[in-house]
Amino acid sequence: MAATTDTDHEEQTDAPGGQPAPPPRGRGRIALAVSVFGELLITAGLVTGLFVVYSLWWTNVMADRAADRQGDQVRDDWAEGRGGSGGPGALDTKAGIGFLHVPTMSRGEVLVEKGTSMKVLNDGVAGYYTDPVKAELPMTGKKGNFSLAAHRDGHGAKFHNIDKIEKGDPIVFETKDTWYVYKVYGILPETSKYNVDVLGKVPEESGKEKAGHYITLTTCTPVYTSRYRYVVWGELVRTEKVDGERTVPDELR
Amino acid sequence: MGLVPWFDGRDGMYGWIWRHLPGNVWVKALLSLVLVVAVVYVLFQYVFPWAEPLLPFNDVTVDNQ
Repeated sequence: MAATTDTDHEEQTDAPGGQPAPPPRGRGRIALAVSVFGELLITAGLVTGLFVVYSLWWTNVMADRAADRQGDQVRDDWAEGRGGSGGPGALDTKAGIGFLHVPTMSRGEVLVEKGTSMKVLNDGVAGYYTDPVKAELPMTGKKGNFSLAAHRDGHGAKFHNIDKIEKGDPIVFETKDTWYVYKVYGILPETSKYNVDVLGKVPEESGKEKAGHYITLTTCTPVYTSRYRYVVWGELVRTEKVDGERTVPDELR
Repeated sequence: MGLVPWFDGRDGMYGWIWRHLPGNVWVKALLSLVLVVAVVYVLFQYVFPWAEPLLPFNDVTVDNQ
């Protein structure tokens, strides 16, 4: 039950005078049914409208808040010397493993966490795949595909402007100790959501045949729907050590 | 009393709520506002988060299910 008031009705019910005599039964019942039905329709419309507000605005507010908090946590951990260095065992994967910078897509940074479940992604972060294909994290140094997913709309909408990315654009992944600079070489504007091959160690659809250090960004397309998937591939160009001031690599200037 | 006879005391659920709110018009309006805020809160906090995964708007991953 929603509670809004209709001014017309207010005036009628508030008009002076006692309760009027009940109208003839049959007509009254039908009239009541019709007016209740009408109000249910109005209510449904309002609820639908509110859902749009919720999806496209409120979830962003909540997700940005969560992402900022978790991102600060990661930065604090790094500053205090936790996380980052060492093998994968030393990673505090729950708190996030690093930040993604894609200047042509968004000005800010996107925190990267483990997993692509809604629970993870709804916090306004990008998640690296653990299922159906396990992502190869860049800090392992092994060849493979660092595959990521994030929301296109709502919940932070971190990959909203993925269509602004063009071939040759840089994708930079920042960890505690290293900047991993990738260069976009392949874009697939539309593919089936069942096309898990795009996440492969060697994503053949992107035109690559040999193993290498790849990064894959996936999100849904067209905007405001989940019908297809948009895929962007990049290949590692170089790595750069993080210095004391965390000076950003040239690509981010 | 309505403008049309069949409105007499039978003006749907919102009218019913309005008539059952206590106080004068201002108190009623204030209570209505409180009810609206409460409903919006419940929707945003509980109903929409529950309904969202059931609707096909926000799947972003590729998977084989």
